Amino acid sequence: MKTNLRKNSKAIIILVIIAAFLFVAARGMSGRDVLITVLRGFSTGSVTFLVAAGFSLIFGLLDVLNLAQGTLYMIGAYVGWTVYVRPDTFIDVLTPVLLILAGFSLSALWGRLASRIQLAPKARKIISWLLILAGLGLLALVLTRYPIAIWNLNNYSESPITYSYMADQGLRIIPAEVTFEKISPFLAIAGLLVSSAISAFGIALLNRNESRSQTINWRKFLVPALLLLGGILAAVFNAQITSWMFAMSTNWLFVIAILIAILSGVGLGALMETTLIRPLYSRPIYQLMLTLGLGTIGLQIVQAVWGRPEFVWPKPEFFTGTGGACPATNLADLLENNCSTVFLLGGRVRVYDEIFIPIVGIIVLIVVWILLKRSRIGMIIRAGVQDRQMVEALGINVRRVFTLVFALGVGLATFGGALAAPSTGLTPVMGERLLLSALIALAIGGLTSFPGAALGSLLVGLIQQFMIKYGQIGIPLPFTDVVFKPSPPLVPASTVLLMVIVLLILPGGLLGSKE
Amino acid sequence: MKNNSSFLTKNRGILIFFAVMLLAPFLIGLFEGSTPLMIWGNQGSLSKFIEGLGIEIFILALFALSFDLLFGITGLLSFGHAMFFAVAAYLTGIALKTLAMPFWGVVLLVLLAAIVQALLFSLVLPRVKGITFTLVSLGLASVFHIIVMSSDMINLTGADVGLQGVPVPAFISPVTERLRFYVIALTLLVATYLFYRRFVASPTGRVCVAIRENEDRAKMLGYNTTIFKVVVMIISSLTAATAGMLHALYQPSISPSIADLGFTVTGLLIVLIGGVGTLSGAIVGAFAFRLLDFTLRRFMGESASFITGAIYVIFVLFVPYGIVGTIRMRQLRTKPGWQRLLGMVKPKN
Amino acid sequence: MSNILEVKNIHSFINQFHILQDVDFVVPEGSITALLGRNGAGKTTTLKSILGLASVREGKVIFEGREVQGMPPFEIAALGIGFVPEHRAIFRDLSVEENLKIAERNKGDLDRKRTFIFDLFPDLKKFLNLRGTDLSGGQQQMLAIARALVADNSLLLIDEPSEGLAPVIIEHMIDAIRQLSEQSTVVLVEQNFLVASKLAKYFVIIEEGKSVASGLMKDLEADKAMIHRYLGAA
Repeated sequence: MKTNLRKNSKAIIILVIIAAFLFVAARGMSGRDVLITVLRGFSTGSVTFLVAAGFSLIFGLLDVLNLAQGTLYMIGAYVGWTVYVRPDTFIDVLTPVLLILAGFSLSALWGRLASRIQLAPKARKIISWLLILAGLGLLALVLTRYPIAIWNLNNYSESPITYSYMADQGLRIIPAEVTFEKISPFLAIAGLLVSSAISAFGIALLNRNESRSQTINWRKFLVPALLLLGGILAAVFNAQITSWMFAMSTNWLFVIAILIAILSGVGLGALMETTLIRPLYSRPIYQLMLTLGLGTIGLQIVQAVWGRPEFVWPKPEFFTGTGGACPATNLADLLENNCSTVFLLGGRVRVYDEIFIPIVGIIVLIVVWILLKRSRIGMIIRAGVQDRQMVEALGINVRRVFTLVFALGVGLATFGGALAAPSTGLTPVMGERLLLSALIALAIGGLTSFPGAALGSLLVGLIQQFMIKYGQIGIPLPFTDVVFKPSPPLVPASTVLLMVIVLLILPGGLLGSKE
Repeated sequence: MKNNSSFLTKNRGILIFFAVMLLAPFLIGLFEGSTPLMIWGNQGSLSKFIEGLGIEIFILALFALSFDLLFGITGLLSFGHAMFFAVAAYLTGIALKTLAMPFWGVVLLVLLAAIVQALLFSLVLPRVKGITFTLVSLGLASVFHIIVMSSDMINLTGADVGLQGVPVPAFISPVTERLRFYVIALTLLVATYLFYRRFVASPTGRVCVAIRENEDRAKMLGYNTTIFKVVVMIISSLTAATAGMLHALYQPSISPSIADLGFTVTGLLIVLIGGVGTLSGAIVGAFAFRLLDFTLRRFMGESASFITGAIYVIFVLFVPYGIVGTIRMRQLRTKPGWQRLLGMVKPKN
Repeated sequence: MSNILEVKNIHSFINQFHILQDVDFVVPEGSITALLGRNGAGKTTTLKSILGLASVREGKVIFEGREVQGMPPFEIAALGIGFVPEHRAIFRDLSVEENLKIAERNKGDLDRKRTFIFDLFPDLKKFLNLRGTDLSGGQQQMLAIARALVADNSLLLIDEPSEGLAPVIIEHMIDAIRQLSEQSTVVLVEQNFLVASKLAKYFVIIEEGKSVASGLMKDLEADKAMIHRYLGAA
């Protein structure tokens, strides 16, 4: 214990100083302002933590700094919003996505077939690329003709802003259904399946060596079959599912939206790792450049699809009650009336923003912690962080664990985006801001340390919220009568300053490993 | 005399480039029937347009060059490089517009600011290495971007609309004296490139390459690596500031997008297309990038950025040495050195 | 008696370095074979090549009648090869128990092997809840060997088991390896000729990336000239 103290003396001193600063900062405030600010700090910290935790998991095991994490956070928010506000679009998109996945998930079969084909290496390379390109081209052809109901960015009354606003007022607009016009349904479904299967086969042919030991049994067909079934069901019962979702309680819709956001993150993460990150493990700098580039590309895609203007994600019913005994003063009132705010220490606290988000953050912290400490996969992750080769030499497929961890990390980011969006709204800059916060949190806490990610995120959240609060009420500077009001740009600036100071004293961060 | 000729042969490529680019506006003018005299008098719309495109390319090339010196030669991957460019651009704009300073005073101010900035970055250099440096630079640059975008500064920076209506001195006005502007930008680029070539070949430059290859070994040889890194940082910052200043003078408005991460990525993309650590790759890459971007935008509109993104990914995955690097590798087979470069910044040790 | 492992004229690379240039030997089932040679001769790389941790560009590695070269390491290991690497590679952030548990290939492996492992290394029982970092060199070596025993491995590759250990502990280690060799075949890399000669029945000498001699250990012990030539003074 004593040696532990000595080892971490610098970190402890820094923490004490930060605590003292926060204490001094809170001095000029009333108790209820302090409470609200601290709660908001926890809220911002929780969201930051979700992104930072994914980041640190990925970096710890894979050595990949996933700079696309901010964009993925943003994608989580936009995907979640789409499911929540425009379930019809979601159901329309579901069919093609499931069918494409079905085509690709037969990779074991493709690998087996590909290994039967004997070709000269050069011919194999050319043929596989031709197949991949042909498949993708066909896919693009079918997708552009596939009917998907979507908003119209150029027409205000059909823009995401209007849909959000109306849903927020409780007046859902149910948009007109789109029908198969440019392509027959059968051709569309077959086209999606065939084109994705062609490109999947091309990829399998390209990686022939890796798949030579795969065996085939009926289980390998289970997942593709389920995906295919799901896709076709979604297409056949499109109208029924859509109207059912529009009629659903917003609480359930919200849960579905969050789940879909997480799933899309997991899917995107797995796809990124297997196709783009994997070839670059021997070139770490290029991985960094790749994730950075993917982040910017993703941002442009989001802007092209959802537009640049800000819009809101209406909160679900459970958090929007105002009548009756609201703002609630006790738990019973809160639960009965679904109050949007509660009274705490004489101050009004928003339930979703300042209570729900921190609780979710803490739950995720505990769940991931248990996963890391108690499960076999967590054991493999902790061992792999130290020595990948040895883990592999024990007969464990580290690559699969890599993919899993990457998917999980990205899933956490998209989860964070979907969780934060009802509170912060959706803007194209949300990703960059959060990436910055998360990076700062990690640099402060220690890049590969999971508890460090939590501590750093909390500190970043608290400091940001205290600065914002002081932007409103002003800090009475000591020994003078001057009241200083930090302007909004100082909010991120203050956290960067903290990061620079911490890094100058402890290059490894507060809880990071010593170099 | 002998010295002179070796200078000519050594730098044949860039000198030919210089001559061709000087003649280009006149030659292109001929296609639309403008005599060289008319071009000299800044008439003829096609050649004027080509000059404009050229100026943009030269500015990008300067920016990419400074990035290549920092990243490709010395191995410092900064994700805040756009800040050097943007600070200079905004400073030029503000000094000319709001402060109404004399032009040469502005130049001096911008260069001074570039040195101060480089020194600011250098404060963290001795402590943080590799990935952490990248993060710190990203953090600092993001703060600058947020400040530029914030509504508090709208009077100075124009916030998200950008800084507009910068009064450019008449003698280099991109509207009336575009040919002069073109020649100045070209000369600056060529001069900078020649200087960089000399620098990389100099003993100081060699130490920088050694830092990239293995900083600890360079240290063990007795070099104070921090000083070398600071020097490189200052040179790089001055170059980027020059580019930023030209940008502010040439463009009708200074958009905040030059301060964000996307612009650093553009610089990275240019260096990547051309070839990391080759210097001339920055110029080749700037041409390739700008012309490609221009063509794509013309035919595809907004969705051009997807194609640009796809090209970025393809280069990262399949053409890691870039255009110049791949050609050189074919000629020299210097693969081991390149592989060392690729494994340069190991995220974790 | 058949050969459990055949290494046929392999050439291996680590990164771009051509380390093994024609290594060729066989390992009879149920024996201990020692790989001998000077520092940097390529003994460790030979072990790594068998497991696929070093890339074999030419030649064949045949384990239990199956060609394994070119397969990913985890698949080769899963066929039943245990690996005890040079510097033990104990997972520092895992407890001793977890270090053993992670080596399970099927659920319950550790419980089945528990008595066997603790009979071999009774000391480990006392440290089960300590973290990997807190162990001494000898304890780490025991743990590294025990870890290779958790799954049903028919072949154990042990690299430098005596390195950096006190003489008393080396004696203990020799006993342990002799005992476990009753269950599985062992390939041993050993600098200490005395240790190797006490344990091994067969030997292979590797010199500058090539296998130059092999045979019965007792013949080698008699041939002082050969020992002197390939291994220096012994």
